[in-house]
Amino acid sequence: MESGVFHTTYASDMALRRTPLMRLRLIVVVVFLLVFPFVANGYQLTLANQIGIYAIGAIGLNILTGFTGQISLGQGAFMAVGAYSSGLLAARMGMPWWLTIPVACTVTAAVGAVFGIPSLRLKGLYLAIATLAAQQIIQWLITNWRGLTGGVEALVVPTPELFGLRMSTNFRFYWVVLFFATLTTIFAVNLFRTKIGRAFIAIRDQDIAAEVMGVDIFRYKLLAFATSSFFVGLSGALVAQWRGIVNYERFTIETSIFFLAVIIIGGLGSVAGSIYGAIFMTLLPAILTNLGGAVGGSIPGLAGILPFIQQGVFGLTIVLFLIFEPEGIAKIWKNVKDYFRLWPFSY
Amino acid sequence: MLARRWLSMVLVLGSVLLLIGCGGAEPEASEETIKIGAVYDLTGATADVGTPYADGIRDYVRWLNGQGGVGGRQIELFGADYAYTVDQAEQLYSQYVSQEGVVAFQGWGTGDTEALRGRVAEDEIPYMSASYSAGMQSPDDAPYNFLVGTTYSDQFRIAIDYAIENSASGSPTIALLHHDSPFGQSPLEDGRAYAESHGAEVIGISMPGGATDYTAELTQVQGAGAEFIVIQNVSSPAATLVKDVDRLGMDSQVICLNWCTDELFVSLAGGAAEGVIGASPFAFPSSGVAGLEEIREYAESQNKNLDELGVHYVQGWTTMAVMTEAISRVLDAGDEVTGPNIRAQLEQMSGFETGGITSPLTFTSDDHAGNKALVLYQVQDGLWVPLTDYVSAE
Amino acid sequence: MDKFLQLTLTGLTNGAIFSLVALGFVLIYKASDVINFAQGDFLLVGAYVTFGLVAQVGIPWPLGVLLTMVIAVILGLAVERFVLRPLIGEPIISVIMVTIGLASLLQAMVNGIWGTTGRPFPGFIPDQTLRIGSAVIPADRLVAIALAAILLIIFTLFFRYSRHGIAMRATADDQQAALSMGISVKSVFALAWSIAAVTAALAGVLVANIVGVSGVVSSIGLRVFPVVILGGLDSVPGAIVGGVVIGLLEAYTGGYVGGGLQQVIPFIVLILILMVKPYGLFGEERIERV
Repeated sequence: MESGVFHTTYASDMALRRTPLMRLRLIVVVVFLLVFPFVANGYQLTLANQIGIYAIGAIGLNILTGFTGQISLGQGAFMAVGAYSSGLLAARMGMPWWLTIPVACTVTAAVGAVFGIPSLRLKGLYLAIATLAAQQIIQWLITNWRGLTGGVEALVVPTPELFGLRMSTNFRFYWVVLFFATLTTIFAVNLFRTKIGRAFIAIRDQDIAAEVMGVDIFRYKLLAFATSSFFVGLSGALVAQWRGIVNYERFTIETSIFFLAVIIIGGLGSVAGSIYGAIFMTLLPAILTNLGGAVGGSIPGLAGILPFIQQGVFGLTIVLFLIFEPEGIAKIWKNVKDYFRLWPFSY
Repeated sequence: MLARRWLSMVLVLGSVLLLIGCGGAEPEASEETIKIGAVYDLTGATADVGTPYADGIRDYVRWLNGQGGVGGRQIELFGADYAYTVDQAEQLYSQYVSQEGVVAFQGWGTGDTEALRGRVAEDEIPYMSASYSAGMQSPDDAPYNFLVGTTYSDQFRIAIDYAIENSASGSPTIALLHHDSPFGQSPLEDGRAYAESHGAEVIGISMPGGATDYTAELTQVQGAGAEFIVIQNVSSPAATLVKDVDRLGMDSQVICLNWCTDELFVSLAGGAAEGVIGASPFAFPSSGVAGLEEIREYAESQNKNLDELGVHYVQGWTTMAVMTEAISRVLDAGDEVTGPNIRAQLEQMSGFETGGITSPLTFTSDDHAGNKALVLYQVQDGLWVPLTDYVSAE
Repeated sequence: MDKFLQLTLTGLTNGAIFSLVALGFVLIYKASDVINFAQGDFLLVGAYVTFGLVAQVGIPWPLGVLLTMVIAVILGLAVERFVLRPLIGEPIISVIMVTIGLASLLQAMVNGIWGTTGRPFPGFIPDQTLRIGSAVIPADRLVAIALAAILLIIFTLFFRYSRHGIAMRATADDQQAALSMGISVKSVFALAWSIAAVTAALAGVLVANIVGVSGVVSSIGLRVFPVVILGGLDSVPGAIVGGVVIGLLEAYTGGYVGGGLQQVIPFIVLILILMVKPYGLFGEERIERV
């Protein structure tokens, strides 16, 4: 009997799904994703769509923060750029919604690259603070550049239609989200098997060594900002098309923090982790609210402080994960798999 | 070996399904109850006023159910904190609508009301909230939104009327100091147009959030020679602002619109609040109008003091009361309790009396702002005292 | 001219408040290279604890403030020991995020205990104003200026002459070398956090005196980033100068330009400073090319 997983060819070692079990798991996940919308109700579909959109945004942020090591507190603002681009193109210029999405992504990528310029001189903390400033500046521009965005008034986006079907219902939009989330995941997973992806990781691990080895830091850092912002913009554009309304209040610094929490809890530098994080951070408050509703009435005094417990759980989860499992859910999942792989002979 | 792997797979998959299923634990459907959904801000940016408003809504439902409910049917209220985040509001809304089957919804802020405007029209769910933006007034734009409070634009118009009447020159300059958000800017353009047609002038000055001092903004007010300062902001920054007005020795008259016309404003501003005028569509507990009796009685039965619960509690209570009134009319008409039927009854509601808590409410099929009038109050000896009867803009 | 004078005075006094808050940031960064995103919530805790002791329990205010300082020390020590210490050696993002998580946790605790409704602070600073020509300064801002000045002197002396202060500078400079010289890096961190917590608590009491006890107190935390970047993240005099400059800038923009530009101008300055002089006006340059 094997005592572990051993690869005998380079091809099998390089494959994305390296064992039969992994391939099987993929099939199960795909079947689940295809069957789910037919059995789920509107609420579960809403959650699923939110998870999908968060996952796309989290993968985008993870490319920058987890893989390239550049901290960004400006995620909310970049999402806003994507959402407003998509919304404005559809509302003001009458562009078809499916075309606004790639355009919005490209616009966000360009904006992201511009705000990535400080990263050429700054790193670590200083970069984090620079992106915080980017968040404030973009947010101010959106609310004050009335000629372009309509200011603080909400922007109403025309209903997206495809072949005469209204796409913004939860059920139909599920397929839109699934399509883009799948593309994003496949792209991201493969990105880190290419030269560019490896250059990103090299910059994260040791920028000077990377430069010595011939990685053009200037180019790759901007590329990382652009790639990351592309997907962040995608998640913003999807929000705009799904909700039919864009308002800056959705894209504040709290959004930036939320996404950082998603990738920290899911797993920094892990594509799968971004998805686990999105699932966890969406379902946790939902479950807490439902649990609270169920037990709130039976324990006197609990109903009053329950909202604050929920508020605290957000912070507590982040703190506990960072202290006890800094590599996030992705690592926990790996530990579970490793344990069962050789079970009961693991030690 | 393979079997064991299978086992672990099944375990993991099962737990994922369980997680998803958890949100979907369906309560037993009861034919009798009427289900209403709500989102509250108990921990977010506006939790200070969101909490008493939410208490008002919840207590009204408890009181009503204690009285036997609507037409013999109990109200089942599904509500939770959304921490002033739009995503959370959307989640809760879709949960309550698609899973619990609520027929009407109580929202809270401008963000969630705007974001859900299209959804509620699609789902045909009558929606009331504490955001009185005039953008929600027209059924063409927002067919299922109803405003129980006077719109911010009307509040500002009434304040402008007051300013013109009491101005030395008769053509005053009025500074609108507003929160830098859709909520804050909502009355600005309507007010500016109104003032122009009445020979007055409005300037808008935004108040940065979280500031400890508004002296810089006030030097602009001084520079423009504004006789009146109208505040469209919540109590805490408004109190900081009037303290600065007081310190600078400015003689401009301050007028608060409804979100700083409350007890908290007076307690935070202290002596500086004296003489400040406030526009409130809802009666203060101290006003002693007849409609407050049952609220006070219920509060006392719960060992709470209505004067401490404050005007936002009355606001929440009354908003819910208007919603259930429409439901009771649906039942009286022998119709099924559905969103469209509630909307139809609301649109026929004409001159509905709330016992003096608000002016009589009239909704029509082309105007969903049911409340056109309010009372101007003034702070005297630390209490809001009525200065006028119900007044409305021309 | 009157307007200019008033705006200058307003800018200076508001700058003093920024400086006070910035001092806590700088202390922690100087000793342990940690940026504390929860600084604003330390203010909040300080404000509410004093409020609880003075207004709710009924302790006289000098004792109340003193007790608050003691509680702040305990809070600072606890945070350092249980939250930050496990993260020594972890990447910067983890350290940033843990303080953000801490911020949300502290806020939830304060809300859970005291509720979310703002309350008037038992004002123990007389509500009077000082007139200079046609301009006015409220008394509470004068207290802020005095407090900032006193703390500046204390910290300067502390870092120059005290054993602990020198140990702290040594640790900031090179942890390995400091360890080998027999300095207990752990106790240096603990000391930095407790001093920073006390500074924050005092600043919180002052801010609450101005705006009342409410969530507003914590929002000032985010507004001092431009201050510390301008002055230099590890410079005590920089915190003072940065505070004053940003205070003046906000006041002039608010008075002469308006339109909410005063909210974003500090951040534009921040980006410019970062591009031109990343270590701020007084920060120590650490040569590292990217």
